[in-house]
This record gives sequence, C-alpha cells and structure tokens, in this order.
Amino acid sequence: MTITRRTVVQTLGLGLSLPLMLRPAAGQAGDMITKTIPKTGEPLPAIGLGTWITFNVGDDPLLKDECAAVIATFFEGGGRMIDSSPMYGSSQPTIGYGLRKLGYPERLFSAEKVWISDPASGAAQIKASRDHWGVGKFDLMQVHNLVSWEEHLPALLDMKAAGQLRYVGITTSEGRRHREIERVMAEQPIDFVQLTYNILDREAEDRILPLAREKGIAVIANRPFRQGDLIRQFEDAPLPDWLAETGASNWAQFLLKFIISHPEVTCAIPATTRVEHVRENLGAARGVMPDESTRRRMVDYVEAL
Amino acid sequence: MSDWATYTLQDLLLFSPRVYFRLIERYNQDFWPLQIVLIAVALAVLVPAAVRVDRLRLAVPPILALAWVLCAWQFLWMRYAGINWAMPYAAAAFWIQAALLVLVGPMAGDPAPAGSLRHYGGIGLSMFGLLAYPFIAWLAGRSPVSAETFGMMPDPTVATTFGAMLLLGQRRLWLLMPIPVAWSLYSGLTLWAMREPAALGPLGVLAAFLVVVIAGRR
Repeated sequence: MTITRRTVVQTLGLGLSLPLMLRPAAGQAGDMITKTIPKTGEPLPAIGLGTWITFNVGDDPLLKDECAAVIATFFEGGGRMIDSSPMYGSSQPTIGYGLRKLGYPERLFSAEKVWISDPASGAAQIKASRDHWGVGKFDLMQVHNLVSWEEHLPALLDMKAAGQLRYVGITTSEGRRHREIERVMAEQPIDFVQLTYNILDREAEDRILPLAREKGIAVIANRPFRQGDLIRQFEDAPLPDWLAETGASNWAQFLLKFIISHPEVTCAIPATTRVEHVRENLGAARGVMPDESTRRRMVDYVEAL
Repeated sequence: MSDWATYTLQDLLLFSPRVYFRLIERYNQDFWPLQIVLIAVALAVLVPAAVRVDRLRLAVPPILALAWVLCAWQFLWMRYAGINWAMPYAAAAFWIQAALLVLVGPMAGDPAPAGSLRHYGGIGLSMFGLLAYPFIAWLAGRSPVSAETFGMMPDPTVATTFGAMLLLGQRRLWLLMPIPVAWSLYSGLTLWAMREPAALGPLGVLAAFLVVVIAGRR
C-alpha cells in the first residue's frame, strides 16, 4: 500500500471521528447539506457521484466489486445522484452491477446523457442506457456536450411530458461552448445544466450561474478536481491555518466546499474508485459552509500556491 | 478556435492505467503459453527469411496476417472494446491490414540487399518486436504479466510487421503502411496520456521505421 499524505490524514481522522462513526447510518445520511432543484423544490444532496473514467472497468470482477463498494458507501453516506453517459465506456453496466448488488436504493437519483449525433438513434440509446442501469426510467436525462441538441432536446421534453423522465438538461465541460449553453438556458425549458466549475475554473460565475438563478435551472458541477489534477497539485501544500472557517478538514473537502457553497450550484459530482475518498467527498456536504468572504479567501489562497 | 482544439490528450482518455494493464494481465493469463508459441513460430519463419531462404519468405505475410487477425479478434474486439468504444473500428482496420498482408505481401518484390540499411533495420525492428518488446512492461515498472507479445498485442505485432516490411521488398509498401503507422500514433499517444513511459515503444518503433524507409531511399 502506498502511504500518502491523504492516507495519513484519513488514519488520524479515523481515530478522532470514531464516536461519530458509531452513530446510525441514517443519522449520517440525514445531516447532509442538500440543495433544492429550482423547478420542483426537490432536495438533492450537494455531493453526487461521477463515473467518468473511474467506472469504466470492463468485465474485470475485482474492479467491478470495487466500484460496487464505492456505490454502496455513497448511499450509506447519504448520497443520491449518480451521473454517467454512453460515452463512458463500460461505466453504465458497472453502475447497474453495483445497483443490483444493493437492491436499487430508493434514494437513487439517476442522471444520464444522450450522446449520439444521429437524432433518430437517441431513443434507442436511452433504452440501452436504461437496460445497463436496470432502471425503468431516469430521473434526469441530459444532452451530452450539446451533441445534436436541437433535435434531442424536443424529444427529451416530450419524454418528460409523457412521464418517462423527471428532468431534462444539457451538459458541457471545461468551458466549451458557453455561449451556446447560455442560449439554450435562455430559450429552452430545461431543468438542469451541467458544466465545469471548480476553484480554478470559474468562468461560469460571470454569466451562466447568474442565468441559472434567473431561469430557475439547477447546476451540476463536473470536474471538481480537474480529473484529480487539483488534488495532485495541492496535496503537498499546507492547508490554510484558517481552514476551520471553510468547514473542510482536507484538500478534497476544501475544493468541494468551494464549489457547493456557491448559491447557484446544486451538486458537484466527484468521481473516485476508493471508498475512503467517497466518505471524504461526502464529508464536504456536512458542517460549516464557507461564506462569500471565505470563498474569496479560498481562491486567493489557492492561486497564490 | 475549433471545439476539438480545446481537448487535451488526457481529455480523450477513457480509462485508467490500472484498468488497461489489468486487462492485458487477464488476457495474458487466459492464453498462456500461446505467447511463447507465437514468438517461436514467427522466429522460425522470419530468421531464415532474413538470411534469404526464399521459399520461407512466402510464409512471412500469412504469419503476420494471422497475428493481426488474432490481435484484432481476441484483444481489440473481445477485450479492449469493453473499455474503449473506438476499438471496433480499430479491429476492422486490423482485419483490413491482415487482408492487405496476404494480398500485397507476396508482391513485395526483391528483398532488401544484404548489408543495406533496410536489411539491418528490418532485422532490428523484427527482433525488437519479437524479443525485446515483452520486457518493456518490466522496464516500465509494471508486472511482467502485463508483457506485450507478438500476435497477442498490437504494438509488438506492429513492430515486427514494420521490420518484415523493410526486409521483404518495397514494392507496394505504401499500401501496407497507413494502418500500422496510424495505430502506432494512436497507441503511443494513449500511453503518453496515461503518463506511461511505455509510450516510447510504439512511438520509437514508428520513428525508427520511418527513418529507415526515408534514409533507405537515398
């Protein structure tokens, strides 16, 4: 086993938090900070579970079981939203495997995407995704990276009207096509938008997040750690001595709390293959949240590193 | 700026290094010791062909074609496609390459003259693909179980094919080049995106092949 700074912090933290761990699982889930989906008022835990790369494990039994343990830990810790896409290789069957082992928790909020340039094939792709997950319908269906969105979006809205979906959204990542995203948000009756937002990628703050507030659109923040790069970049740097003001106890929580403390962000979706990281990530949705002045301080601190 | 220009190599990587190399390990375990048999068969045909046993030269393209078919079927199609949706297209390209080897290989013309750059380059690349490539995993600090061998994995198969193409004549060589060149670039960049030192394998083999082809024309 490789001993990292993260492992040491977790091991020390384990001893300190033992009394808390003895509390019932329902209590752990219950104290999570939730955000509200603007269109319906439905509460959603502010930390979800992404599956990009991490759940693409093919048919490897060991790795599938590791992912199933991640899903189990996620639900035990109070999580709800799992997000995936047909683009993510075998991630969808891996999710289905994990959910079957758990008996499909009622808490599940299933977020999927349609990702195909031929609009006529959208329905078939969504059905294949449902089969992989083993669910009757998805809570949220998003148009992935705006691919053929002009054609897919009306079809998804029709599905929603027919009760085959609960919410409809669009996605992008890493700041791509934000102008087009703005146009869709302004003109289409979507419920969710998913985009990259983290402590270093804050372009969305200028126009998209205010527009989300104006239009009542829920926001999912992807790439919260820039695919792990932010953790690798900062893990050897000291945490600020005013860390308590953020409510975080490690870098992962510091980075996640920055994201979910933005009033317009509904949920961040970090991805991981390790159960200890799931617990750490879910911990970001507990305790104190940084206020606006602390958030500015967090940005200044990180940018100075 | 085009949308595609904003993507980095890492953005296009669909899986983690751990998943990829465990895939190779499990594949190798499924077929062991076929790896040794394939290398032995290739050596038994390529070494005499390299020292100008003409009758055996005709056996080289079918042996290479068999290796490309095996890689396409068992690795790209049956296994790698499970984590990489682009692999069915790669498998199709490998099947086309196998057909080209069978159809074009026998019409390659006169072999490279003994002692020429192409002759030595061909021997070097063939032997690198057959005998040295399996040790790259170990040199890169990975489990030897993830070793890549001729006929089982694309990269050493491509290296051996490049070597044989240099040895066995140049006529219509351009027909046999696009697919192995494209694969070498794809594989090298994929490993590079995984921050794997083994990326130097396919990229280095491609560079060596192109240098010998270009220099050999003078």
